[in-house]
Amino acid sequence: MIDIVGILADNILTIVLITLGGILISLGVHFVPVGGAPAAMAQATGVGTGTVQLAAGAGLTGLVTAGFMMNVTDNMGLIIASGTIGAMIMISVTMLVGQMMYVYGVGCPPASAKVKYDPITKDRQDLYVSQGTEGHGVPTASYISGIIGGGLGGLGGSMIYYALLSIDNGLPEAKFIGIASIFAVGLFFVNAVIPSYNIGGTIEGFHDPKFKRFPNAVLASFIATFLAAIMGVVAIGGM
Amino acid sequence: MSAGGGGGGAHAAIPQNNLIAFGVVGGLVFIYAAYFLVQIAGPYMSFLGALGAICGIVWGASAVRRVANYGLGTGVPSIGMLAIGIGIIATIFGLAVGGIIGPILAVIFASLIGLVVGFLGNKVLNMGIPIMVQSTTEIAAAGAITIVGLSTSMAGTFMFFDEVVNGLTVPGVATTVMEPGYIAVIFIMGALAILHPYNANLGPDEKQDRTLACAFEKGGIAMIITGIVATVTPLASGTVTIVVGVVIWYVAFSEYYKRVKRDAYMISGAGLLPSKEELE
Repeated sequence: MIDIVGILADNILTIVLITLGGILISLGVHFVPVGGAPAAMAQATGVGTGTVQLAAGAGLTGLVTAGFMMNVTDNMGLIIASGTIGAMIMISVTMLVGQMMYVYGVGCPPASAKVKYDPITKDRQDLYVSQGTEGHGVPTASYISGIIGGGLGGLGGSMIYYALLSIDNGLPEAKFIGIASIFAVGLFFVNAVIPSYNIGGTIEGFHDPKFKRFPNAVLASFIATFLAAIMGVVAIGGM
Repeated sequence: MSAGGGGGGAHAAIPQNNLIAFGVVGGLVFIYAAYFLVQIAGPYMSFLGALGAICGIVWGASAVRRVANYGLGTGVPSIGMLAIGIGIIATIFGLAVGGIIGPILAVIFASLIGLVVGFLGNKVLNMGIPIMVQSTTEIAAAGAITIVGLSTSMAGTFMFFDEVVNGLTVPGVATTVMEPGYIAVIFIMGALAILHPYNANLGPDEKQDRTLACAFEKGGIAMIITGIVATVTPLASGTVTIVVGVVIWYVAFSEYYKRVKRDAYMISGAGLLPSKEELE
């Protein structure tokens, strides 16, 4: 029988790191400009797919880059930085290619319908929003917001991954690397879905009024991730 | 943006309670039958695990259908991914801690996290869907049954750790499914099987039997892939799993196609695209 209390007592820091990672993912999703199905028809600002797909795409890339760095070094800072940068590159490329589709394919200028002036470039937005739409493309503020969001997601994901792999259970890392990664992926999806329910599926970035709702999702993610973190630590610590 | 969903309760010919019983009882009975019969009769009985997973998939697809009909705002895939995300966490924990009661523990803990997430969804995130708590609980539990069932079918056992039986080392789920990364295949297969049926059939003319026929068909595909993986594991036999999977897929697909034809307003053959000469 597994000594549950002993394992939990030994790995309090791991549980804290995993929970923090879940919160960071949840916060990061609020920054990513997701437009959902309307954006796929260039009728809303953001990339035309769901939160879960975008966050998962960026987050999983972050896990891969973090895992690759883990081959080379044990330095926590480097591994987490690698995960963060990987996720940022992935979300940037996704937004850039989406942007090209909107500008050269659909033929619409990137414009936000939520604010009159872009908070970063101070460019006028409302003049360029086509009638009957809620904006289109990825304006500068949304783009920068998306990079921040991808970075936070990658940071959280690689933190969870690193924390799970640093559990000392007397086995070589290769024996439980699969479990740690799939557990991190599972937590990533849970923490990507919770904020996407919070924002109702679409958000433009940090300048969107919906962004102010993030404390609710952070609270929900905190509770859900904390429960899951205990389970993960017990499962891996007891191996 | 609410992707699909009429904003109300879904009409159902089969009551959800029957499907819950089908999913939980059917799923667990098949999983335990697979475990014991593999030891008694031989590795070829491992296909029963995938049948248990199909019970979970059908139940999960039905629960997704009910909750997504209210309009989640994020598209149907999100809740399927949530289900499998919770399912995988609970499965790893349940199987690692539980031993012989592992599958039951996995279902219980998946329900627990599902309950908490559903409660948070309604109370903290203000989603306002009346059946949210019940549905996330059901979907998460169905996800756990799907993962345990497919893992059992791949490994021939649901024991997490390697065991020594009669002097032979029997590899557990951790060694055969998790370590080589087949769990990622289970992850995405299970998620798609649970979320796809309603996602593909939603709309004003959505019918329960058509959606569930699609769920059976997805279960058949998952079973075939499970069988392919099982061919390389010592305690599970892939051939029977693949054959049974193909039969289930064929029957379910025929039934699904029959219902598609029944519900369609008109079916007309458009013929091939006109050739260059005909266009001129």
